[in-house]
Amino acid sequence: MPSIETLAILSIAIPWLGALVVWLVRDHRPALQHGLSVAFALAGGVAAVAMIPQRTEANVLGVALGSAFGELTFLPDGLGVFLAVVATVVGSLAVIFSVDYMRGERQLGRYYALVLFFIGAMVGLVLSSNLLLVFVFWEITAFCSYALISFYNDDPKAVAAGIKALIMTQIGGVGLLGGALLLYVYQGTYDVPTFLAHANALPAGVLAVMAFGFLVAAAAKSAQFPFQTWLPDAMEAPTPISALIHAATMVNAGVYLLARFYPAFEGVPNWRLAVIVVGAVTALLAALMAIVSNDLKRVLAHSTVSQLGYMVYAVGSGGIFASQFHLLSHSVFKALLFLAAGAVIHAVGTRDMRQMGGLGKQMPFTRVVFIIGALALAGIPVLNGFWSKELVLEAGLMHAPIWSYVLMLIGAGLTAFYTYRMVTMVFYGEAHGHAHGDAGTAMKIALAPLALGALSTWLLAGPFAKLLSAETLPYHGIEAASTFHILEEVISLPTLIALAVVALGLLAWVFRSKLAGLGRALRGLGWAAENSFGFEAINRGIVRGVSGAAEGLRITQTGLLNWNVVGIVAGLLIVIAILALGA
Amino acid sequence: MTLSLPALAAAAVLGLLGIGVAGLLVTRNLIKVVVGIQVMTKGGMLAMVLAGYLSGRVQTGAALALTVIVADTIVSVVALAFAVQVRRRFGTLDLQALSTLRR
Repeated sequence: MPSIETLAILSIAIPWLGALVVWLVRDHRPALQHGLSVAFALAGGVAAVAMIPQRTEANVLGVALGSAFGELTFLPDGLGVFLAVVATVVGSLAVIFSVDYMRGERQLGRYYALVLFFIGAMVGLVLSSNLLLVFVFWEITAFCSYALISFYNDDPKAVAAGIKALIMTQIGGVGLLGGALLLYVYQGTYDVPTFLAHANALPAGVLAVMAFGFLVAAAAKSAQFPFQTWLPDAMEAPTPISALIHAATMVNAGVYLLARFYPAFEGVPNWRLAVIVVGAVTALLAALMAIVSNDLKRVLAHSTVSQLGYMVYAVGSGGIFASQFHLLSHSVFKALLFLAAGAVIHAVGTRDMRQMGGLGKQMPFTRVVFIIGALALAGIPVLNGFWSKELVLEAGLMHAPIWSYVLMLIGAGLTAFYTYRMVTMVFYGEAHGHAHGDAGTAMKIALAPLALGALSTWLLAGPFAKLLSAETLPYHGIEAASTFHILEEVISLPTLIALAVVALGLLAWVFRSKLAGLGRALRGLGWAAENSFGFEAINRGIVRGVSGAAEGLRITQTGLLNWNVVGIVAGLLIVIAILALGA
Repeated sequence: MTLSLPALAAAAVLGLLGIGVAGLLVTRNLIKVVVGIQVMTKGGMLAMVLAGYLSGRVQTGAALALTVIVADTIVSVVALAFAVQVRRRFGTLDLQALSTLRR
């Protein structure tokens, strides 16, 4: 058995090496590219899983990078290893799925190289314990997501969506970089464990700036309010990429960042409340937008934003375990839903749900797995989404303001509503489109384990609690408990209330014709949701403002030497004046 | 009133720099731009020699000035060669007329 040090390096290096190899193979040998990508992705997954028993709370590997950069260190503790496993395993399934989905596409080398690079960078991000390196990996994932969202680079919509994702996540990157540099200024190190141990040694103001900077970073990365608009647009990517971004990599990074640094920031005044507000507002707004969307992938994208809101909300409520458990459930069922949706889209040739319907008979396998994923998303017992969502709600009920709990309950009802709507529109009712055949073999190989996972990962609650316990995460205060104990805790009166709300959501869709009056009353809300509650208008306004300012500043660029010399002399005079005044 | 040698040199430095900058500010002729830069560079060289004299490290100042002479010569040659090419291709040395870099 290789040491934990070796495994940590391998789980990053194998996907990256794979990226290089697949790219070097060139595009005239697609079969080899498919095979190599799957092999490298799976090998990375094996390396990550092998880290679980060897997890440790101490930094491993200490390569000095020079005084300004600290050391290249990895921290394969429970949290980091868990997310590395999610990234590589769910990522591998997305790669396997791609074998069918991307068959016959051009430029497979670019596709697979970026996917593997993405997976490796995500592993690096969650394992790295040097904050500056966390930032570097953070930016690599941002770049990969940009390049993959714009994969169809002859489609202007895809290119625009990629640039949007890049710009929005860069705003978050500034928050993270600022936090890292502040930490270096005040503690002389980028080391994460040192920071967590001595967070209180920082001046309160500095800690607050870091805390809110990291919140901005997490919100931008995880598509939380007010940055939620980039994720639905990212649907222009090939569907396995959507699954990868939504379930395995990228959006998990924000929740990871909040969970990782929660012990340091929980004492910052109003920080927890801000996290709760961001999570709750996002969960509710995104659920509303999911209801009015007719694009299958957009519904799923809004649901991802909404579920990420639940995770962020859980972190704000102090429920780190609940948030990570929901992240696990979500990764499984959302990857399942996206890949199954990919199979549907691949077979029907459109993403518009109004042109689907009645596909259940033509795609029996896809229907079964999609419904399993949908039930998990809606939070129906006994699927994994039910248990983890109830844990999140329970954390909220105990440690968050009651109004936020009510918002989250409404969100749960809406989730059930739009999930049911989606399933009916795609698989039942009148057929509006025709599918040519069920999912292919590679698709089925990727879908089956995810469906089994959605049915069963909740049984891992006990081992999962042990993974995140004080054994390797001394500051998070998560207690190891048996599966039975955790599940027993879930079954309580609030759970029944939540279930009743979910049932109401389902019934609302069943009796939607009788509720038509209510629908008319809420037409304004529906219109607002269709227009993303004005956030797109705000985005457009900002873009207009920036390009207007750039146009206005153009007059300073005369291109004439004489004016440039004037500028140089004026600059020199200002510097001399400052020096004279300062002396 | 007697002027010391360093004060005289300092005045010369400022004078050369001033003349050079003034030339760059007002001229539109590419050759005169090169001349203006030359004048400024001479001021800079004199400043180096002066600094070496004042700090007691005359050799350092002289060595730096020599280095600048070499670099400065190359810069002038290249700039003048450009000027010749510009004149041949565009038929003018007027910067205002040449500034097609603008949109």
